[in-house]
Parts: sequence; structure tokens; C-alpha cells
Amino acid sequence: MDDGLLSELAGRQEYSQGFVTDVEQFYVPKGLDADIIRRISAIKQEPSWLLDFRLDAFAKWQRMKEPHWGHLKLPRIDYQDIIYYAAPKKDSDRPKEIDPALMETFEKLGIPLKEREVLAGVKGREVAVDAVFDSVSVATTFRKTLADKGIIFCSFSEAVRDYPELVRKYLASVVPAGDNFFAALNSAVFSDGSFCYVPKGVECPMELSSYFRINAAGTGQFERTLIVADEGAKLSYMEGCTAPMRDEHQLHAAVVEIVVEKDADVKYSTVQNWYPGDAEGRGGILNLVTKRGLCRGEGSHLSWTQVETGSAVTWKYPSTVLLGDYSSSEFYSVAMTNNYQQADTGTKMIHIGRGTRSRIVSKGISAGHSENSYRGLVRVNPGAAGARNFSQCDSLLIGSDCGAHTFPVIVNRCPQAVVEHEATTSKISDDQLFYCGQRGISPEDATALIVGGYAKEVLSRLPMEFAVEARRLLSVSLEGAVG
Amino acid sequence: MDSVYVIGRDAVPSLVRLGSGESLKMTLVVPEGESCKLELEIELDGPGASLDLAGASMSGGSEQVNIKVTVRHNVPGCRSEQLFKSVAGGQARVSFDGLVYVAHGAVRTVAHQQNHSLLLSGEALVESRPQLEIYADDVECSHGATTGYLNPEELFYMRSRGIPEDVARAMQVEAFLAPVLSRAGEGGQL
Repeated sequence: MDDGLLSELAGRQEYSQGFVTDVEQFYVPKGLDADIIRRISAIKQEPSWLLDFRLDAFAKWQRMKEPHWGHLKLPRIDYQDIIYYAAPKKDSDRPKEIDPALMETFEKLGIPLKEREVLAGVKGREVAVDAVFDSVSVATTFRKTLADKGIIFCSFSEAVRDYPELVRKYLASVVPAGDNFFAALNSAVFSDGSFCYVPKGVECPMELSSYFRINAAGTGQFERTLIVADEGAKLSYMEGCTAPMRDEHQLHAAVVEIVVEKDADVKYSTVQNWYPGDAEGRGGILNLVTKRGLCRGEGSHLSWTQVETGSAVTWKYPSTVLLGDYSSSEFYSVAMTNNYQQADTGTKMIHIGRGTRSRIVSKGISAGHSENSYRGLVRVNPGAAGARNFSQCDSLLIGSDCGAHTFPVIVNRCPQAVVEHEATTSKISDDQLFYCGQRGISPEDATALIVGGYAKEVLSRLPMEFAVEARRLLSVSLEGAVG
Repeated sequence: MDSVYVIGRDAVPSLVRLGSGESLKMTLVVPEGESCKLELEIELDGPGASLDLAGASMSGGSEQVNIKVTVRHNVPGCRSEQLFKSVAGGQARVSFDGLVYVAHGAVRTVAHQQNHSLLLSGEALVESRPQLEIYADDVECSHGATTGYLNPEELFYMRSRGIPEDVARAMQVEAFLAPVLSRAGEGGQL
């Protein structure tokens, strides 16, 4: 491909969610100490047990060191140079109407906040959305429909106010406050997020969705999501994220906890499209996230699906603890990196119960100067008789300056368990491109086609709305990668 | 070059460099009762170098077997094959740590790595860390790792034909290790 076309392609490649919304924001001062935490807690009018939880987490965090075991060059983060709480200013405490500027933001992102659109049939299927803007949840839709079934879906702050006993019971039950450096930081300063509880035997009638948006400069986002599926409950949850284009790095340290009781079924899907930085690797979100599910009851099931295309740095290992007998879990992942992005992502499957099963399918795609690693752990404890795991981790390299790595760990202590892992690394072959070229398909389109086929096994697991977005994102991320 | 090393009897080199066109066939055997901490690094420094590496370990007591192998493809057009098999019974702890590194520019690399383990007791532990670190795009690299146990159906088949259980089990283990041990046995060195 000639240089003119290449530069044109590079020019075309853009991050369409990179705009900034101009709303009046309220900030707490920069920096982090116990007073800031007390202040955040006071703003949110939290009960004292939650403030104690935060302060305890902060004390733990102060004794911890930033982890550097990932295959990442993590830029230096000055934790005193971050604003830990930013919220759109409100006219009154509880506005009836959403600020039109915010409304417009979510419209631009294609997130329907107005229920009537869906009811009028403008949008297809019903999806309940919880939209989080910087540090606060601005709107949660379809509450009434869900409440009729006994399902609670609201922002985390509201859950603390309205269902304190539920939050208290499950908070930090899967990811303890001192679990790791970033989880401890999140536990100390978390702002908002989604809370979801599906009661016994209820099947959630629609997809639940959270949409996270970082808007304010110099801030970090520390959301916390807690999902509880009681006995026999069933739900599907989707998460999406975007941020403006900025030259500085912004920190995103979230915690997601999922509790799955007996015979319950949870499907958790993520399309992560944080701002990845520009073509020279300036700016972008540092996505340092702890996600973990606990299959507590017998026969419970948790499925993770993730499409990671954004962020300058991704450090993320959605994991499942298979505690209940015959519980099962899956992890399907596509991680795409281009330019100077770095991703170190994978999963952990901890088999504790008898007859537990897990399956891992990970597809990494690296282009440009990026680094893409799969890191995983499959652990089978002595009591997990009949446990079974299968892992498949493939890497695809596009261009000669990127890196693709696989770091799996298998620890087996059970003589009645079978664990299998396989990984391959390959590139898009010249033969494939030549074949497509002969049929009039440009190298760009051919690459998108081949990558689409390569990632299909994972993309097909996504809920319909997300699958369309994910496919589009993959092709956008690929632009300019072929030369 | 074809060499067999029995741990506890032979000294294993810690670093081997293969130059242009050189090939090495190497077999490592860790016999029962032997604990070891083995670190082996092989550098493929010349184009066309090829490595065929295999290892087997049998542990049934309280052995600690740690094998760490690093294979570096530094130049284009090299080939490496690795096969490691281990059996862990008793309170043995067996770990395999294998890295295949493909340097920037080392195109047309072919590298395969396999690590298979059998766990015979509830007090034994098997750890496997097969790793790929790749900085070149035109490569064919793969690794596979499994851990499992003796197939009860095979055992039943043999017992139903009058083979005592302990003999049948021994045969299963022998068959599992055969692909590696046959390489060592040929030269009568075991």
C-alpha cells in the first residue's frame, strides 16, 4: 500500500466518542487522604459502616505497593494528582429531569435513556440502562417494570440508601477490600456504579446495562458494581465505557463483584472502548480493573464475555470462583490492541466444588507497536473431583513491530480432574490477503474480514446490540494497521 | 548431536547455544526418588538451527521436581520442538516452567511446546506454566498443556482381561511416558 493511502487511512482513523460534554461540574479537591474519603462519604450521605469500610480499605491501600508483575509499561501514576470525585452540578437534590447536555451526551453515544423511545418501538429490544457519568449515576431506566418482578436495578448510592442490608451482606464478599492494590483503592474512594439484585426464581425480562462515561479532566473513575442472582434467578448484564480524547492519562479502577446462588445463571458482557490514546501513544485511559464472580450455589453458572478495544493500558482478569458443586463458568474474550496500546488480560478459574467445569476462549489481536498478553490461572483444589477445564488462547499478529504473549498457569491438586490448555500464534498470511485481493477486496477490508472470522466464536456470544457495536469497533481499531 | 541426561547421574548444561545450521536432540530424564531444580536455557543464534528437546519425570514419594526451560529464537528460520511429560504420585510436587521467546525480526520461526502431566494422588501437586513471548509476526508457534489422571476405562479393560491392577496401572504410566523414554532407551543409556 502506498504512503498516501496509508496516511489517509491514519487520518480517517478516529475515536468517535472522544468529545467532551460541557456541563457544570462539582469536584472535591485533588489528592487522597482520609479527609477526602470522609468528604466523599459525606457528600453521598453514607451510613457510618460504609465510611468505616472505606477508611479500612484506605489504611490497607497505604500499606500496599502498586503491582508491576504484568507485561506492561505502566506510566507513573501520581495518586495525589487525581480528583477522586466529580459530579455534574444539580439544581436541586433530586432532579426530575436529566440535564439536557447529559442527555445529549448519551444520545451521541447511542445509549437510549428515554424509555418512551423503546416503548414507541423506535429502538428494538428493551434494555434497562444505568448511566454513570464521572462519579455519579445520572439515570436508571425501566425501574418500574423491573420492580414489578422484584428486581432491584439502581445506582450503587441508591442501593446503599434503600437496601443497606443487602449491600452490607454482599459488598466485598467476592473481592475483599484488601484484595489487591487497585481493588483497595477502589474500596476507599468508589463513587458510584450499579447494583442489581434478582430475587429467587425470577428471570430478568430484559437485558440490564450500565454505561460508564469519564468526562471531567484530571479525574479518575472508580465505579463499583455488585450483582446478586439469588437461587434460580437468571440475568444478562452488559457494560460499556467511553471517555474524551485527552493528552494525559486518566485512571479507571473499577471493581465488579458477582454472586451467583444455587442454580442461578448470570451472563456478563463488556464492550470496553475507553479512549486508547493517539497514534503516538499519548494519553488514553489506564484501565486497571478487578472483576470477580463467585458461583456459590450448586449448579450455578457465570459467563464472562469481553471485547477490549480501548484503553492505553488494560490490566483486567475477570475471574470465577467455582465453589458450588457442579457449578460452571466460561470466559470469552477478544482483546485488540493497535498503535502503542498495552493489554495484559485473561482470567482465573478456581475449581473448588465437585464436578465444576470451566471453559476459556481468548483471542488476542495485536497491531502497530502494541503489546497484547493473555495471562490466566486454572487452579483445581484437591476436593474438586470430576473438575474439567479447557482453555484455548490464540494470538494474531498484524505487522512486525507488535508483541503477542501467552502466560497461562495451571495448578492441579486433584487426581480426578482434567485440565487442558492450548495456544497458537499466527499472522494473517499473505496467501489469505492475496486470495481476497484477487477477488477485488482491499487489504483493509480483507483484514477486517479475517479478523472478524477469527473473533467470531467470541462475538457470537454477545447480546445482539453489543455484537453489532463490537464488530464495528474491531474494524475501526484495525484501520491503518495494514501496510 | 543426540544426548541423554539422567538427572542425578549426569550434569546438565545450563546454557546451550546453537549456531547456523546446528541441530540438537536432547532428552532429560528425572528418575523416581530424584528431586531437582533444573534450569536450562537454549539460544538459537544461527539461521536454520533446530532443537528437539524432550523430558520425562517420575515421582512417587516426596520429590520436588522443578524444571525451567527457556528457548530463545534470536534469528530467523529456526525450529524448536519441546515435549515434557511428568507423573506425580505420593506427595510429589512437580512444576514445569517453559518459555519460548521469539525476538523481534526472528521471522519464519517454528516453535512447538507440549507439557503433559499425570496426577496419581490427592496429595501431589502439578504446576504448569507454558509461556509464549513473541515479537515477530511471521511465525508458527503453539503450546499445549494438559493435566489429567489414569483413564479408569483403560484400567477396567485390562483388569477384565486378568491383568492385576498394579500391573495395569504401571503399564498405563509406561505408555504415557513412552514417547520420551523411548528416545532415551535406544542408546542403552538408561
